[in-house]
Amino acid sequence: MSETTREPDARQLATEARDRVRFEEDALALSDQVYRVARHLVGSREEAEDLMQETYARAFRSWRSFTPGTNLRAWLLRILTNLNIDRGRKQQRTPDTQPLEEGDYFLYNKLEASGDGASDEDRVVERLSQNDVVAALSEVPHDFRDVVVLVDVGDFTYADAAQILDIPIGTVMSRLHRGRRILKQAMAESAVGGEEQ
Amino acid sequence: MTAYDPCSHCEEMMQPYMDRVVTDVERAEAETHLDGCAYCRKRYRFEEKLRQFVRQAVEQEPMPVALKTKLAGLRTPLQ
Repeated sequence: MSETTREPDARQLATEARDRVRFEEDALALSDQVYRVARHLVGSREEAEDLMQETYARAFRSWRSFTPGTNLRAWLLRILTNLNIDRGRKQQRTPDTQPLEEGDYFLYNKLEASGDGASDEDRVVERLSQNDVVAALSEVPHDFRDVVVLVDVGDFTYADAAQILDIPIGTVMSRLHRGRRILKQAMAESAVGGEEQ
Repeated sequence: MTAYDPCSHCEEMMQPYMDRVVTDVERAEAETHLDGCAYCRKRYRFEEKLRQFVRQAVEQEPMPVALKTKLAGLRTPLQ
């Protein structure tokens, strides 16, 4: 009652507190989805957990820079990928000379040839294990993996991935194309061995 | 050697086709080829299954509950 002269300030503070609480709740509600991407951007669960904590700490600090109504999941992933790059990932950056990758049919052809002659696509895909996928993803060089994980695991559009990683959309497309082929090659090696054909 | 190989072309177009980033003409071209080519159709179906399989594989490892609690603990304390 005695605080009526400060009421506008109090109201402003209350509005801000409410907006902040809403932001924090929205961000936390997305944490499972953000974690799924984080887990496959980095090599280990421990790294993913550290990265998530850093990301959320930063997000909660700088919540005012988020524009309500825009894609919060993409905003969080942008913080996360920037932090991931800052965490010394540059040292691991792969040279431009990538291993020769095979075409898109390579994995199917390999799996089909390795089996009992069945070429039914359900049976062929069953020759892969979930571990093959997870292990193969971790073998894809970072620049390619970022794009593959954002698009194929995170379900981001090419445009969102371009914005998150701050690269042109054409680069997203070419890295995705190449990254998926490297991934399939790694899955083939994991599932049937890397022997020469 | 340089002759046009429709299956190689289909292989090149497969991912953009599945991502739905091809033009209407390219889509129609891919579908016509897939309708008539058992070799590519089989590989196309495999690619669809593979995408589902990859998605399921990465969902096997949910976020640890303890991490969720830690993230909630990072929130600004209410005054």
